[in-house]
Amino acid sequence: MTDRKKRAPRPRRATKAPGRRKTSPPTTSTEAVVASQADPPEAAAPEPAPLEATELAGKPDVPARMRELEERLDRMIDAHARDRGISDGPPPPASRPTPPPSRPAPPPEGMLDTARELLSADFYLRKWGRMGLRNRSQEVDDFGYDPVYERKVLPFFEFLYEKYFRVEAQGLENVPNEGRCLLVANHSGTIPFDGIMLRLAVRREHPRHRDVRWLAEDVIFHFPFLGSFTARVGAVRACQENAERLLGHEALVAVFPEGMKGIGKLFKERYKLQRFGRGGFVKLCLRTRTPVVPVAIVGGEETNPMLARVEYLTQAIGIPYLPVTPTFPALGPVGLMPAPTKWKIVVGAPIDLGEYGAESADDEVLVGKLTERVRSAIQAMLDRAVSERRSVWFG
Amino acid sequence: MPNMARPGGLAPVAGAGGKTRVVAVTGAAGFLGSHLVGLLEEDERIGRVVALDVKAPQSVGKKTRSYEVDLTLSAAETRIAEILTAERVDAIAHLAFLSSPTHATAWCHELESVGTMHVAVAARQAQVRKLVLWSQTWLYGAHPSNPNFLTEKLPLRAPTAEPYFADKMEAEEQARKLAQRSPGAVVTILRTAPILGPMVNNTFTRYLSRKLVPTMMGFDPLVQFLHEADAIAALHLALLRDAPGTFNIVGDGVLPLSTVIKLAGRVALPIPHPLAETIVGLGWIAQLVDAPPSFLKYLRFLCVADARKAREIMGFRPAYTSREAVLDFVNAERLRANRLLSETAA
Repeated sequence: MTDRKKRAPRPRRATKAPGRRKTSPPTTSTEAVVASQADPPEAAAPEPAPLEATELAGKPDVPARMRELEERLDRMIDAHARDRGISDGPPPPASRPTPPPSRPAPPPEGMLDTARELLSADFYLRKWGRMGLRNRSQEVDDFGYDPVYERKVLPFFEFLYEKYFRVEAQGLENVPNEGRCLLVANHSGTIPFDGIMLRLAVRREHPRHRDVRWLAEDVIFHFPFLGSFTARVGAVRACQENAERLLGHEALVAVFPEGMKGIGKLFKERYKLQRFGRGGFVKLCLRTRTPVVPVAIVGGEETNPMLARVEYLTQAIGIPYLPVTPTFPALGPVGLMPAPTKWKIVVGAPIDLGEYGAESADDEVLVGKLTERVRSAIQAMLDRAVSERRSVWFG
Repeated sequence: MPNMARPGGLAPVAGAGGKTRVVAVTGAAGFLGSHLVGLLEEDERIGRVVALDVKAPQSVGKKTRSYEVDLTLSAAETRIAEILTAERVDAIAHLAFLSSPTHATAWCHELESVGTMHVAVAARQAQVRKLVLWSQTWLYGAHPSNPNFLTEKLPLRAPTAEPYFADKMEAEEQARKLAQRSPGAVVTILRTAPILGPMVNNTFTRYLSRKLVPTMMGFDPLVQFLHEADAIAALHLALLRDAPGTFNIVGDGVLPLSTVIKLAGRVALPIPHPLAETIVGLGWIAQLVDAPPSFLKYLRFLCVADARKAREIMGFRPAYTSREAVLDFVNAERLRANRLLSETAA
């Protein structure tokens, strides 16, 4: 579209938006704008005028009709391209409502057209663009979760779940079968796999195979590849607004209130719960009347035993600290591979906060107490599971 | 000020037997302006349309009176006030904003920031009851720390070093000031998502019209759009109903940027973002690219707004989802490429 370049904005002494061409024919209303799409032959079905359309929105037949119109246009374009080759002949005059003459193309020319089309770079660019959609869903949800993409990468995570970490899940009957619920777990590992493992555990072992959406640290979304990848497989950036929206859709949400402090635990601090933020998750549950289910994840905190955190100069490259493990950075990126520890996910009995009203979310003392109650419940579950374990590697 | 039939409360239309309304539109020759004028022409609830711009819009009809006004002149304020008083204007739709960044930053500042001040002061002088201001959700800024759906309560965090955003933020500030100073007035700010559609031409449509669409390597933000017909319908609705405050006007649903590019049948060209910033920075100085490097953040991070307030308070429901807006734009592009649609984008 080289000719569009000419339309680039040039400052004019005008009070209007630039970039409008003087030659564009008058379109007296939005109706005309929309209708311009239906201008070509036989697409006679009128589009709704915008205001009507606003009122009509929500009726199911609008998208269906639009799809139908789109298909018709596709067919027309194809037929038209077949009729007169791709790029010959003068453009039809602006306001001719009749279809372009459908002269049958003589067969040899048809072949020539096909050859010409196959030789044009545009054809391959388009094909390439369409092919890219194979591995991606047509539509994603509000938070960018892409089921088709997840299915593509799932075998890797299934391998981690079954063979590598040999995850054992207990007490999944404590996860309600429906309705909103907040799973609160300890955070673990220099590279956290706990979110996706918890998601897999609930999906595989829970009777209703519910989908867990877990809240991930902001810092992930600063980085290339990492942010878009985690969003596609089901993570959501951790903040009150997002969590409220998810719970409003009656979703099952997992949070790791330790946050960055949880990921950054040193090896000697493993399974010692850090501060639970400022109790944001309790406020959230009180406001939205959501039951809390405590979860202990054992095994995750030994995958990348962190010996030290280097915080010097790491801000310059945008990471909060540089982890030092027995293998990283000594072995380079390979050193970040998690150790094959045996994992156990224990889901505890729900903690009901229903007795407190939504207004108690502003009561700092109560929020602090409830946070401590949830924290100590998870700590107790962790302590029990760790003491029952005979080996880090075999459980 | 002569007496006028002024419906109170949330009455959507002027009283049945009462007078019809007089609406002024600034930036009336622009894309949104000319189509809004066309829509108001057909609305029997509107008695007269006053089009203010440096030239007459092409959609002028019987009801419209067109005035030549240049908001960048310092005399604009008195001239607008005179026109508003003479025409007994009830409501102004202020749409004189640029839809693409420009190198003429001083002129842009005069037009958008100072121009809005002129309009707001003139509206106060002429005791205009309502001001509808066009703004954009891009003013929220693209940040990795944004919630997935930005609400109207959150602060505007677009890069203030970029005049394109700074001037629009100042314009919003002027409108809010007007709302504070004249308690009876209804000031509605409509923040639209990037507008797509068969006829509109702005930064984003030009971005999507390239054969090779540059993206930031490793980033695939969710984006949302508003169909041009919905944008105009929202402005129309805001003129008819009284809904003071700020509203996000966005299409339903979000799409990853990569999907948008693929739907458009284009090929993405991933560039590492530090490199892209250098290239685009140089290209912008040399006037080879369409937008300054500050726009690249919108290709990396989220800037998606929540439509709930507009739905619940203003009663605005978009007819097109974000995806349908993209498809409508793409189809028009395809028709143009096949010469089935000879109308060029505005």
